[in-house]
Formats: sequence, structure tokens, C-alpha cells
Amino acid sequence: MKIDVAKDYYAILGISQSATDEEVKHAYRALARRYHPDSRSEGAPTTLFHEVQAAYSILNDPSSRRAYDRQRADMGLSEDALFSWEILSSRDQLCARHEEQVLYLLMNVQPSVDAQSKRLPLNLCLVIDCSTSMQGVRLEHVKRAAHQIIDELYDDDALSVVVFSDRARVVLPSQLGINRVQAKPKISAIQASGGTEILQGVQVGLEELEKRHSDQLTSHLILLTDGQTYGDDEECIAEARRAGARRIGITAMGIGDDWNDVLLDEMATQSGGVSSYIASPGQVRTLLQQRVRGLGSVFAQGLTLKLSCVEDVWVESVFRTSPYLERLALTDEVVALGALQTDVPLTLVLEMGVGQKQAGEHRLLQCELASDIPALGRRGDKLRRDVLCVFSPTEPPPQPAPTSILRALSKVALYRMQERAWDALGGGDAKTATHQLEMVATRLFDLGEVQLARAAMLEAGRISKGVTPTPKGRKELKYGTRSLIIASWSKSYD
Amino acid sequence: MIECPSCGRKHRPGTLFCSECGVYLPTGGPLRTEPLPEKELPISRANPWASEPVEEAEEITLVPLSVEVISTGRQIQLPPTPEVHVGRLDAAHGIFPDLDLTVDGGLESGVSRHHCKIHQRGSTYLVEDVGSANGTFLGGQRLTPYLPHVLKNGDELQLGRVKLQVIIEQEE
Repeated sequence: MKIDVAKDYYAILGISQSATDEEVKHAYRALARRYHPDSRSEGAPTTLFHEVQAAYSILNDPSSRRAYDRQRADMGLSEDALFSWEILSSRDQLCARHEEQVLYLLMNVQPSVDAQSKRLPLNLCLVIDCSTSMQGVRLEHVKRAAHQIIDELYDDDALSVVVFSDRARVVLPSQLGINRVQAKPKISAIQASGGTEILQGVQVGLEELEKRHSDQLTSHLILLTDGQTYGDDEECIAEARRAGARRIGITAMGIGDDWNDVLLDEMATQSGGVSSYIASPGQVRTLLQQRVRGLGSVFAQGLTLKLSCVEDVWVESVFRTSPYLERLALTDEVVALGALQTDVPLTLVLEMGVGQKQAGEHRLLQCELASDIPALGRRGDKLRRDVLCVFSPTEPPPQPAPTSILRALSKVALYRMQERAWDALGGGDAKTATHQLEMVATRLFDLGEVQLARAAMLEAGRISKGVTPTPKGRKELKYGTRSLIIASWSKSYD
Repeated sequence: MIECPSCGRKHRPGTLFCSECGVYLPTGGPLRTEPLPEKELPISRANPWASEPVEEAEEITLVPLSVEVISTGRQIQLPPTPEVHVGRLDAAHGIFPDLDLTVDGGLESGVSRHHCKIHQRGSTYLVEDVGSANGTFLGGQRLTPYLPHVLKNGDELQLGRVKLQVIIEQEE
């Protein structure tokens, strides 16, 4: 039997590369029984049976298995357990009679146990808005939060601090192994005055990061602002896009209600970062700390997922639901997933459209996960998985989808509902927006999120009367539904 | 096409949540548990003190626990977590039990969404009713809510009207 290195024999048998001979035999026997032409119904494809046989003949023979492993390692396709990758689908059987149907996939990527101690050092820059509106409580909380970050950084982390109003100024030049005694007073001395020009701050911050930037570090800019910037929106986004291309992420944190969420979201998305809403200054410390801890535990960067669908199968949407909820863009079959943390799994939910297929087992798509793990000196590692599905000639008995899929999807569904409301409002359709927000409120009440539900009701009421929604309500709903934690067993319902 | 039972919007087969109103489509309508008539349930109450004391096991040996739904023959192995929640899925209210009895006619048979919990203590399993509407029964006796009872291989556990056979696979 000739080895075809492009085929993933391990995936065909549904085993890992570390499987024992016994496991290979066991997997083969189970699949052979399932796919054997004699035991299958009329019209079922026999190609799968041949694939299983081919895979077994290669993997069952120690010398050909070694040769196959070597060839795969050369092609960067090896799988020596740097992370685990799980794919669950909402149904294992589809009905062959439907012209078009929906299938959801949940993907979970986690570093393997051995890899969990391998974090990348941080190259961090705090870019702090010190315009007049920050004066008082807001700036004081930001300063306190910055002090805490200084205390928590490791000796191999680098930090710089930039402040901006009409102009930007470097308060703390990029410093490796930060001198805590010197750094803290410099931050305490920051004074507020002037306007808000985000572009200035971001540009100076990125310059500081570039001083040390390499692929052995997590370089990241954290922007803390409370105001609108004027006239430089486009340039801010372009700057974020350039940073993203250099693998420098931007976290944009908006304090209070007067900042431009569209701009900060776009900057975060373009650079592969996050945007978040800080409703009251008292939350600055916790949120900033969480974010820096998350960044400090990054293990792999620049993860990409390539989704090659067969004919009549397509990807409708991709959402990340962990570490935080976000819609991801699919360009030329590729989704940029960003960084993988050592402590939190990366979870994705895919909504797939599936066209009509003949009864039998079909491959729907091939997924390829590529990553760089600089800490281990690995670049361009690739893992491949096939997603197969059985099409039954009659409607299969209803099977509930796995709970993990439902849990992730219920969050996505709610987030999309409020997204649609703002889209409708943006398009001038106040009626749809009102209706959609009322639906959001109902769902939130159902989940026991009374405060958020009230906010949705209030905004729906305002829109129905032809008044613009309050900036606070809009942000509360957008960021509130995004960070909603849907507990599995929280409130009492019979 | 499937129709949302709440808002009437049409969706392709396989869709799980209505994009319009967020309702969980496979179950749709109201999911409240109705109390069953008293005569349909066993009456006797278990003596809360009759349960054997749980021995503090020195080393934790994980023995897998499965249950078989007697009416349908469905066998489910429970996840190896310290606590397993048993009830009925209600995605719209964020209730995701580890063991969901919806497919076994849970709603009609009076299973609550939060019905009972199965704990693991050392190598022993305990069952605890969490204030269900129609009660949890062990060997025909109604358990006092929130008081854990020891589960043994072969026990018959009843939730509302749904009967489960407990299977604890002993090693060797």
C-alpha cells in the first residue's frame, strides 16, 4: 500500500497519533463493521470503507507507520499534542430529504498539559487618556490600576506608559524588568487637561512597543479612554490594522458612556484585540487586571483556521464564545483566531448550511488549524480534521444537541438579536429595532438578567417614541450580552 | 422548514434558536412542570436517618455510574464530575442539566427542570432531590428534599413518573 501523506489516516480511524497498536486495531474493527459493503444499506458509498482499509494497512505496520509519521512531520502536519482540538456537531445524523438544513459545530482548542507552563513574556504599553473629562475619580482609578499592573508583571515582562490629550507624551519609556519604585511616582504625577486625540496616543504607544517587538513576546497596547476623538477615526483604524499585521494587538477600554463604541470595536477587531466597556471607574482595576493576566498567559499566537467545504456545504457564521464573545470574519476560507491562552480554552461556534445529499456518510468539510508557538520554537504547525456526517434516508429520531453547543449558542443567539436591533436602527427601521429590543428584553428576563432586561426595555421605549437610544443603554446591552455568563444551574425553575 | 412556536418565523431544519425571538426551537412552548395527581405517585416517605453513613474513603476510586430509563431502554453514562444535575433542558432559561430527561417524556411525566443532583463522595454516590415539583423516589419511597441518600447498584430511582435503573459497574 502506497503512503499518501496528504491523507490523515489517524483522523480516518478517529484516533490520535499517539494511539497504541491495540487502539489502531480496535478502531479499525469498529469502523470496518460500520462501513463494510455487506452491512450497509443500498447506495451507500464504499469509498469510506476503502479509506479505512488503507489507513489500517499503513498504521498497523510499524515500519510504514514510522515512515508515514516522518513524512507528515516534514510537511508540518504532525500532531505531538501541543494542544488538543475537539470538534462537536449539533447532530450526528442529518436527513437526506431536506433541500437545505443547518448544522452547528463547536470547536474547542486547548493547550496540552505539558504546554501549559509555556507563557510568552509581555511587551505591554498602557495608553492613558488624560483629557479634562478624565479629571478626578476616573484618572485616580486608572492610576491605581496601573500601579497594580506594575506590581503584578514578571521580571521578563516589559512595560511602557503613554498619556495623551491633544498631544501624546511618554511617561514611562519601555522598560524590561520594571523598576517599581521609580515607575509608580511617574504614574502618580499624571495630570488631566486638554482634549482627546486618540490617534496621537496610539501612534506614540505603538512606537514604544516596536522598540522590543519580536515574535518571542506578546506585544499589546491597552488604550483607556472616556471620550470621542474628532476627525482621526479613519487613521486610528488604519493604524490598528497595521499593528494587527505586525501582530501587535490593541485592547480598547471605554470608561463611562461618552466614547465611540463603533471606533473602539473596529480598532480591536482590526488588530486582533478586544474592546470592553467600563461602566463605572471602580471597575477599571478589575477589568484591566483581568485583561493583563489574560495577555500574560498567551501561549500561541496567530492561530488560523482554514475551512474547506465540499460542494453544497458552506459556513454561515463563525463566533468565538470563549475567552470572550465575538463575531469572527471569514476571508478566503480562513478565520483569524488570534491568541491561545494557557488557562482558558478557545471556543468557536460555526453555523453551517448544508445542501441536499444522498443517503450515506459524507465528508462535509476539512478544517485545518495552523499556529505559531514561538516559545517552543515552532512555526507553521498544522492540525487537520475532517467533519463527517451520516445522511439518513428518513428523518432520524430527534436527539438533543450536546449541552456545550446549546450553552454557547444561546449566548450567540442573544448577542445577534441585539446586534440586529442596532443594525435595524442604523438603517432607519425604528419599528424592527423596537420589536427586536423587546425580544431581547424578554430573553434577558427569562435568564434572570433583570438589570440588562430593563435597559433593553427602556431603549425599546425610547426608540418607539422616535427618540435616540441613550449611549449608556446601547453600551450596556452590547457589552452586557457579550460578557453574559449563562450558568448551567443557577435559578430555580420547576 | 420548521416554524418558531413563539413568533411564527420559519427556519431551516436543524436550526436551534429562533433568530427573531431567541426561543429554543426543538422544545418551543411552555416548559413549566405541572404537578401530577397524588395518586399517581408512591406515597411512603423514606426515613431520612435510615440512609447508611458515608464512609470517608481514603483514596477516591472513580466507578462509572450509568442509568437506564426503564420505559425507553435508553442508557446514559453520567459524566465523571463531582456533581451531576438531573432535570429537563430549558435553553431559554439557561438550564442545562447534565442528564436531560426531555427525550424520555420528562415534561409529561412531571420531571422538573431542576429535579435532583447526584453527588460523588469517595467511591459512593448520593442522590439529593432539589425541591422538585413531583419528587424523587428511591425504592418507592419519597426522598426528603435536599437530604442526600446513598445510591446502590440496581436501585430504582424515580423522578416524577420516569423510572431509572441505577447501574454502578464494579471493577474486576
